Amino acid sequence: MNTRSTLAAGAALTSLLALSGCASADGPAAERAVLRFYAAVAGGQGGQACSLLTPEAAEGLRAAGETCEQAVLALALPGGDVTGTRVWGDEAQVRLARDTVFLHRFTQGWLVRGAGCRPRGDLPYDCEVEG
Amino acid sequence: MRRFAKDNALSLFFLLLFALALAGQSVAGNAAYNERQRAEGGAAVSWPEYVTSSEFAVDVAENWQSEYLQFLLFIMATVWWVQRGSPESKKPGDEGPESDEQQKVGRHADPDSPAWAKATGLRQTLYGNSLGTVMGLVFLLSWLAQSVAGQASRNSERLARLQDPVSWGEYVTSADFWNRTLQNWQSEFLAVLSMVVLSIYLRQRGSPESKPVGTPHGATDVEG
Repeated sequence: MNTRSTLAAGAALTSLLALSGCASADGPAAERAVLRFYAAVAGGQGGQACSLLTPEAAEGLRAAGETCEQAVLALALPGGDVTGTRVWGDEAQVRLARDTVFLHRFTQGWLVRGAGCRPRGDLPYDCEVEG
Repeated sequence: MRRFAKDNALSLFFLLLFALALAGQSVAGNAAYNERQRAEGGAAVSWPEYVTSSEFAVDVAENWQSEYLQFLLFIMATVWWVQRGSPESKKPGDEGPESDEQQKVGRHADPDSPAWAKATGLRQTLYGNSLGTVMGLVFLLSWLAQSVAGQASRNSERLARLQDPVSWGEYVTSADFWNRTLQNWQSEFLAVLSMVVLSIYLRQRGSPESKPVGTPHGATDVEG
């Protein structure tokens, strides 16, 4: 294979990897967002925790008649250490030792759209925070 | 320049149509994607972000692979099978790769034949199958790109719905992959069938894809 062919093959492979999300460097950023969210909840900082939720997720917590700040601190989110992260496009899933968290990337960064999630086979996770 | 444009008008016309259609697809696709994103509580993306996304790539690749498969099958099937009366077909009795004399290869080559057609052995075999080979390779690469981009697009959707992502192996055996693939294949096969059969009975004056208007329905391998 000559140099031009090698470059072309490399470019094609890079494009495929980029499209597949495999080459993503967004995992650590999503993990940091999750750790900030859990630290805020553990520290009793409801306002800070709610600012790390997507608008829909925060709205979902308010639906029960409480403020988001009150509701998020009342949840029993199991948390734990990060065990794995998967990023596809603008969506991410961060697995913790005792929890699974879903995030969406906005222009200001990653926000939590699902936390306190329990798997239900191939059905969507059942989440305490969801939006 | 005018001579070049006149000599290559057909290619230039389709190149222009391709570029315009792809640009239109990217704008319409971006708008549709952002509409879905807003409905699902996500963030809208810019046009440059959209055209480098897996969502755009899978939509492009799934159509490319089916088009190249269509032409690959058309090229290969017409070597071995005929359709009496169709200008797209060889005459009944001519089925198969034909003799070296008919194909003007090796010692039967003309002085101005391509060099690899005058050659013998591997070079002649490669050149004699180069059209089908390239069409086949582009089909396979497009299909691979569809599978990779499709997995990324599907996993993005699954994560947004709070579902686990799937592996490439799971994706290429999934309903989504085969739905995208077969919905394109069926339309391509129908288009070829229509072309082969309708051109037996119908005419388009001046088109080499049609028989001359006055040619009988039963005449095969006659192009206008």
